Amino acid sequence: MTNFFRTSKIPLRLERLRRLSLFVNLTPAELQIVDGLLHERDYLKDEVIFDEGEEGQAIYIIASGEVLISRQGQGVAGRAVQPVVDEARLPRRRQGDFGRVAQLGPGTFFGELALLDDSPRSAQARAANSCHLIVFFRDDFVGLLDTHARIASKISRQLACHLGTRMRNMALSVGAYHHLL
Amino acid sequence: MSATIKSSELPRRGNHGSGPIVWAVIIATTCLLLLVFQKLLWLVVPFLLALILYYFLYPPVRVLIYRGMSRDAAASLVTLGFLALLFVVVVALTPWVTGQMANWQDTVSRYVQGGLQLLDNSLRNIEAHWPTLARAHLADTVAARLVQGAGSISDHLEPVAIGIMAWTPSLLLAPFLAFFFLRDGRRFTRFLSAAVPNAFFEKTLYLLHEIDRTSRAYFQGLISLTVLDTLTLAAGLWLLGIPGALALGLICAVLAWVPYVGSILGGLLVVLVAATDFPDAPGMAYWAIALFGLVRLLDDFVYMPLTIGKNLELHPLVTVLMIFVGGAVAGVAGLMLVLPVLGVVMVIGETIGLIVTDPRLMARHRHALALRREYASRDL
Repeated sequence: MTNFFRTSKIPLRLERLRRLSLFVNLTPAELQIVDGLLHERDYLKDEVIFDEGEEGQAIYIIASGEVLISRQGQGVAGRAVQPVVDEARLPRRRQGDFGRVAQLGPGTFFGELALLDDSPRSAQARAANSCHLIVFFRDDFVGLLDTHARIASKISRQLACHLGTRMRNMALSVGAYHHLL
Repeated sequence: MSATIKSSELPRRGNHGSGPIVWAVIIATTCLLLLVFQKLLWLVVPFLLALILYYFLYPPVRVLIYRGMSRDAAASLVTLGFLALLFVVVVALTPWVTGQMANWQDTVSRYVQGGLQLLDNSLRNIEAHWPTLARAHLADTVAARLVQGAGSISDHLEPVAIGIMAWTPSLLLAPFLAFFFLRDGRRFTRFLSAAVPNAFFEKTLYLLHEIDRTSRAYFQGLISLTVLDTLTLAAGLWLLGIPGALALGLICAVLAWVPYVGSILGGLLVVLVAATDFPDAPGMAYWAIALFGLVRLLDDFVYMPLTIGKNLELHPLVTVLMIFVGGAVAGVAGLMLVLPVLGVVMVIGETIGLIVTDPRLMARHRHALALRREYASRDL
């Protein structure tokens, strides 16, 4: 019965979703379920996506365009965005940029801590240029944990990998190598 | 500009409750909606039934979607399955119901006569103790008026039959609406959220989820309340020795879905059964009345605040007061609708209150509008 209802070809929209790192391990049927939960938003250059200190409700995945992550506590947030070079897909940290934490490109995601708890956003996210974002709401993710634990565990694993990479990069940047042993 | 403001300088957001003005608006909006809904009962009742059906059918739809079926196909299959089951049940029960009709008419007549006999006996007992009432022939007067006003059962069948015929088309809307809720519920959420400005997007998403949670909580609370009412009343009737205690308890609990009016009908039913089945023990009917009154008090002041009120996160005092307000504003319809309407209006009101009183969100919205104006006129 399961196979009877499954289509052999993955629709273009689902294929696009599967290219996103968060959903890379999902099967077409699982992608279809997740697709029903996602929202899409368009932001213009310099438009604020969320503010530092705001209660986070959702994770954002960049479908196209770029997003600047900055912390107000570190100085003036980066409104004059540097042009993105070939490392656009990777989060970057430059000590010299006032307030800038990272500039993210297509396929990456941000605001992921909102999926885990309801703590305030730790940084501001602002569109570095016109961008199209896919939004995954926390309550939908919590619902997935209850109803489709398999899908939620696959997403959680990707999330854990992402957070692990980020911790490793942070540890390397401050020289705290003992955390990596 | 906004980026230079430190978070510590911003007013604290999302940590203040709704003020009296927001609550006044919430209560006023609830009353206004009840007045409107009272005029649109032909649509509101099937809509409510459709919502109950939606929450009932949603789990199998979700299972089918997980099995790989599309949402459209799953919603269609489950709705068709439900209608087929309903059809089978109706077809199977029709011959039995038709066969029992004559018996039911006799049974109803017997219980009505039993009730009238109880009333007559009670009034004559009172007359025996109060000579003034005896001189006024209270028992004879009441009996004559009841005979004159009540008429025969067949006199009441006609309006009931006309009522059923008038309501059937609108009740048939319920499965139709439930099907579209199942099929397009997500699309509707996305459609609504797509119309919301970016600055308010997360708050609005939260709002839509809260409305869904509130509706679900109300209907789950209603089911819990029905179970509690059934068990309490059945236990009391069983202790009194009245036959069919569980069935009577269930019927009264379902009738209590219509506050007050349903309770009166339920109480009448219990008294009729007690008076007819124990004609030589009028005390039994009085005990049944006392039991029913106790259960109603428990229901209104303990069970309802604990189930529906708790699930809606309403203060018990507000729950009880709003039931009275709903009845005063829109009668029976108001009694039935006041809590779910208040729950939804409360969530919307509190969220809008949070948004419009948040200077940062409003500033972000103005900034986004300015950017969009600039973008639209960039090559002019």
